[in-house]
Amino acid sequence: MTELLDQFEHAVVAGDADKSAGIARAIAEGALATPDEVFEHLGSAMEKVGSKYETGEYFVPEMLRSAEAVRLAIELLEPYLFTRGRDQSGVIVMGTVKGDIHNIGKNIIVLALRAAGYDVHDLGVNVSTMKFIKAVKETSCDILMLSAFTTSTKVALLDVLTALEREGLRDRVKVVSGGASHSEEFAAEVGVDAFARDVKSALAVCRELLQR
Amino acid sequence: MTSRERVLAVLAGEKPDTVPIVPVIDGWFAPKVIGRKNDECFLDGICLADALAASLEKFGYDGAVAEMGLGPQPNVLGCPVEIEGNDVPLVVDTIVGGREDLDKVRMPDPWAGGKMEPVRRLVETGHDGDRFVIGSVRSPFEYAATVRGLIGFMTDFYADPDFVHQLIAAVKPATIAVGMALAETGVDAIVMKDSFASSSMISPDHYREFVFPYEAQAIGELKESVPVILHVCRNSMPILADMAQTGAAVLEMDSPVDLGAARPLVGAGIVLKGNIDADAVVEKGGVADIEAAVKAAMDAAKQEGGFILSTGDSVSVEAPEENVAALVRFGRQYGGYLND
Ligand code: B12
Repeated sequence: MTELLDQFEHAVVAGDADKSAGIARAIAEGALATPDEVFEHLGSAMEKVGSKYETGEYFVPEMLRSAEAVRLAIELLEPYLFTRGRDQSGVIVMGTVKGDIHNIGKNIIVLALRAAGYDVHDLGVNVSTMKFIKAVKETSCDILMLSAFTTSTKVALLDVLTALEREGLRDRVKVVSGGASHSEEFAAEVGVDAFARDVKSALAVCRELLQR
Repeated sequence: MTSRERVLAVLAGEKPDTVPIVPVIDGWFAPKVIGRKNDECFLDGICLADALAASLEKFGYDGAVAEMGLGPQPNVLGCPVEIEGNDVPLVVDTIVGGREDLDKVRMPDPWAGGKMEPVRRLVETGHDGDRFVIGSVRSPFEYAATVRGLIGFMTDFYADPDFVHQLIAAVKPATIAVGMALAETGVDAIVMKDSFASSSMISPDHYREFVFPYEAQAIGELKESVPVILHVCRNSMPILADMAQTGAAVLEMDSPVDLGAARPLVGAGIVLKGNIDADAVVEKGGVADIEAAVKAAMDAAKQEGGFILSTGDSVSVEAPEENVAALVRFGRQYGGYLND
């Protein structure tokens, strides 16, 4: 079985959506792996894709190709994963803040988190503070992830944090931020709980925050 | 030498008195110079032209980049655009969802609704003050990415490469039409923006497949009328040698490029323009950082000639005015050729 799962992972890394979809169908039909195993391998695949991007072997189109393979595999596996009663790893709300429309990095993180088994609500780009608050309330999410790519979005980030305080939600949800031109110091200044630079560290941060 | 003569001399392959300074100051920074908000100026091109002229006058650099404003956005071929406060315009929707929408791409009429008036106005005031004026147009690749949406567009690189080619070919006439109209207004050069073409986004192989051919065709047609500056955002190092073959007179390089290593890659006869970090240095740095960055750029590129000092990309509204002033001051201090 590990061989099939390795092939699955390999196909996602290579962006071979036909192959990964075929394996996903086989897994769903034959109950060939547990939901946890599936998520572990999909998550690991996106982590490898992220590393290949960081080292310059992959570029954005190659990452999008793998993200598309993950999206399709999850779509095919969804009924199976849910009827098998998967171990929900956590609920996450994610979006790009007001005034910012960069979505490539955000979409890749969303797919990587889904691949790793999280239930992710993607609010899109240019998301108002009100929309974030509404989603946090409605989903009772564990983590709120904010993408912000330009430095002028600092105001928007602060606005979300202030609103969380005002609504008495700040202690109930962990806030993580990230995005190009974002740094550890910038995140600290804004006052989020954690910051992540890439796919690998985003997955690690979520894992860690949910263990606490 | 006047500012304009200085830039023209470099374009002609001659040695100017001092390295020309033409930072990428556009509608993201200039409006605040006349106390206006960015959205006001993008919606009223004349405000933008006046802001760009005022910034040029105030800081005394050698040339301005003329933008057309937002109301008459030929840049996005009919995609809806929004702007608020001091943000930059956001393209909020795309018009091509897939192959079936290819015929939704309509060519802009660059002259309709007085679109070129702000450019004309800046050309006039700029030339009155003997400054160099640059018109701005998007490359076919960038227009295609915009009408399709960048994610869908780059997903198609593998899923449907023929469609990618068809779409870029379909929007190429827009680049040429806008470029020709700009040339008619009397601008001294045109900058063709190719923001997504670098190796920070796509592989050099994809650049050669999807970007270069159309870039070269468009530049080939436009350069008959006006010299073309090719701007690629972020790291263009791996494709610089290719960019040098597009017919562009000037390559505008962003801050990740190593200026000293760029010259051997592009060969002689092409002007290099760059590449002070607009974000880390001009927006977030202090005067000492500006001095160090300007000096390093001059050390790397001045002696060989064919160099225009610039920021790597657009200066933001958050950048302190004193930093822009310092950029020009140190540019003059370290840029002179006569006393070397
Ligand atoms: C593509 C791009 C655009 C496209 C976006 C298209 C789209 N659909 O997304 C367009 C043309 C629209 C655009 C517009 C602008 N852009 Co832009 N853009 C870029 C560019 C070149 C690449 C971004 C990208 O997609 N990278 C690939 C992805 C995979 O990487 P990533 O985004 O960094 O995401 C990774 C991590 O950051 C992280 N991550 C991302 N989000 C999150 C969230 C969380 C919670 C976590 C944990 C992690 C995480 O994981 C991702 C995977 O590794 C960057 C430069 C760069 N090198 O990053 C500039 C950049 C982000 N843009 C910049 C600017 C200035 C602009 C404009 C203001 C330009 C202008 N003058 O018009 C406008 C702003 C529009 C707006 N208000 O949103 C600047 C920001 C600088 C600053 N200090 O503010 C950058 C850094 C370029 C630069 N150095 O000048 N841009």
